[in-house]
Amino acid sequence: MKILVIEDEAELAHSISSYLQGENYVCEVAGTFKEAYDKIIMFHYDCILLDIMLPDGDGLRLLEELKKEKKQDGVIIISAKDSLEDKITGLTIGADDYLPKPFHLSELRARIYSVIRRKQFDNTNQIDINELHIDLLSKTVHVQSKLVALTKKEFDLLLFLIGNKNRVVSKSAVAEHLSGDMANMMDNFDFIYSHIKNLKRKLLESGCRDYIKTVYGTGYKWEA
Amino acid sequence: MNKLLNRTLLYYTVFASIILLLSSPLFYFMMEKLYVDDVDEAIMLRKKEFLLKSSVTLQMADINVWNRFNRDTRILSDTISIKPKDKIIQEVFFDEMTPEWEPYRVLYTNVIIQQQRYVLMIRLNLVESQDLILTLTWLYCFVLFSLLIVIFFVTRFISNRLWRPFHGTLDKIRQFNIEQHTLPDFSMTPIVEFMQLNKGLSELIKNNLKSYQNQKEFTENAAHELQTPLAVFQSKLDMLLQEPSLNNKQATILQSLYEASSRLSRVNKNLLLLAKIENNQYTLWEQVDTGSLIKDVLPYFTEQALSRNLTIDTDISNAPVLDAAKPLAEIMINNLILNAITHNRINGSISIKAARNEITICNTSDQQQLNTESLFKRFGKTSRASHSSGLGLAIIKQICGLHNWKVSYHYKFNKHYFTVRF
Repeated sequence: MKILVIEDEAELAHSISSYLQGENYVCEVAGTFKEAYDKIIMFHYDCILLDIMLPDGDGLRLLEELKKEKKQDGVIIISAKDSLEDKITGLTIGADDYLPKPFHLSELRARIYSVIRRKQFDNTNQIDINELHIDLLSKTVHVQSKLVALTKKEFDLLLFLIGNKNRVVSKSAVAEHLSGDMANMMDNFDFIYSHIKNLKRKLLESGCRDYIKTVYGTGYKWEA
Repeated sequence: MNKLLNRTLLYYTVFASIILLLSSPLFYFMMEKLYVDDVDEAIMLRKKEFLLKSSVTLQMADINVWNRFNRDTRILSDTISIKPKDKIIQEVFFDEMTPEWEPYRVLYTNVIIQQQRYVLMIRLNLVESQDLILTLTWLYCFVLFSLLIVIFFVTRFISNRLWRPFHGTLDKIRQFNIEQHTLPDFSMTPIVEFMQLNKGLSELIKNNLKSYQNQKEFTENAAHELQTPLAVFQSKLDMLLQEPSLNNKQATILQSLYEASSRLSRVNKNLLLLAKIENNQYTLWEQVDTGSLIKDVLPYFTEQALSRNLTIDTDISNAPVLDAAKPLAEIMINNLILNAITHNRINGSISIKAARNEITICNTSDQQQLNTESLFKRFGKTSRASHSSGLGLAIIKQICGLHNWKVSYHYKFNKHYFTVRF
């Protein structure tokens, strides 16, 4: 999978690309509008991370260009300007997602995972990891064709962890992912303990291997 | 408080009355003196006439006849010597006709008729003159008083007209709202003072608007500028967390950093939200059913509430449907409920009540009554217990301000009540 990171903040671009690298992701970085433009025209990417505030141009124009060329690359806008208008404009032009800064790399990766899945597998909506079978449409999980009854949050959590396979996700990232818009106001992330605990228990009880590891009470990791 | 016009008219009335009261006796005495002078002149004229005409032909035998027919010009024997001669004096005589004692001006002078010395007395009655003067004085008072009343109303009329531009300016300033970014348009006036006033005000308001605008833009820009370094910071934390060599101690430090970073981005997002509300970036208003809004968001809080074993009662069947910016209404409800949870005590309770035009959220707490003055101010938090951003209530207030709602706080029976009236 090829991913293009269009981001003028070098440090951030570096973090993103090293976090995504591996697990069959290959990352390229473009720091300017011109560089990004050349790459977009010449190559195909499975997903493009687009910072719309570039020093030498408006990132939204890149998006327009992409659509004009009828390219199928998935696009996630990352913006320091968390504005509703930008979000609506971006999504209308054809972006697949909008992620305001600051974000957790795990959140970004989960979104990329979801965008690529939608593009790549042409809506098969099935994920298979060893004995685990996930149907995204009906939101059901089977372990060796045995149904695991998960709550909506546990299901979201499972997808989030799988989207960050072999990466440690922080507790705050999980909490923010699960509480969505509400995360801005939450100050107590303890509730995710019980979600993780329940998910782990349910998977283990249905005969699934223990993929979820806890890292010193700081984060969690899906190891497969 | 007194209106300027009323004050002016009051002073005017007081001084005019004083002048009227003082001037009427003065007028009276002046008139009297003038009249007396006139009478004295007439007496002197009669004396001259008598000396020239009558005294030449008058016989001693005629004196009795003369005196019988002339009541006011008499010839008396010169035995009356006590009276001062050749000087007009004031005397009182008894009038048989009226009958009353009446004031007279009298002149005694020596005359010689057929070599015999006599005293000539000429007198003139002052009674009619006094009546006249009194009438005149009344007339004078009446005219002056009427004039006063006329001037009173004229002043009022003129004053109202003259001050009209001033009142226009005043109305415009009253309607002026710094949030609306519009400079009031003062109408032109030919009066220099009002022109200067309007010009001064325009300048003042323009400067205020400018600095207000600058301040708002600064907040928004600052918050935006912070997002990127925050993103870098957070991403580096995420990278650090991936290190396989991470030990327990380092992980604990990392966790604290995560918490600080979360809090930082929360404060920043809330600041940005405030700036956006202030900059009127929420223009899309729609019908918002607060009842279903509360129902929708409550599940998000149940987990938080459960961890403190809180009971939440709701009575929202009468919840109003409002014309509002939906994202903001949502944020307001969220903030109110979240406050009730975070500042609650273990095993406490929360009640959410909705009436036709208000929503009240009440919670138990270990905290005493809060300081209402700083409660809704930014970072004016009264408790340092939680990780709250210190902006939650400021945001609620700002949202209420935008929609013309009113948020209030009160403390009763150890419970904190927050009420939003629509």
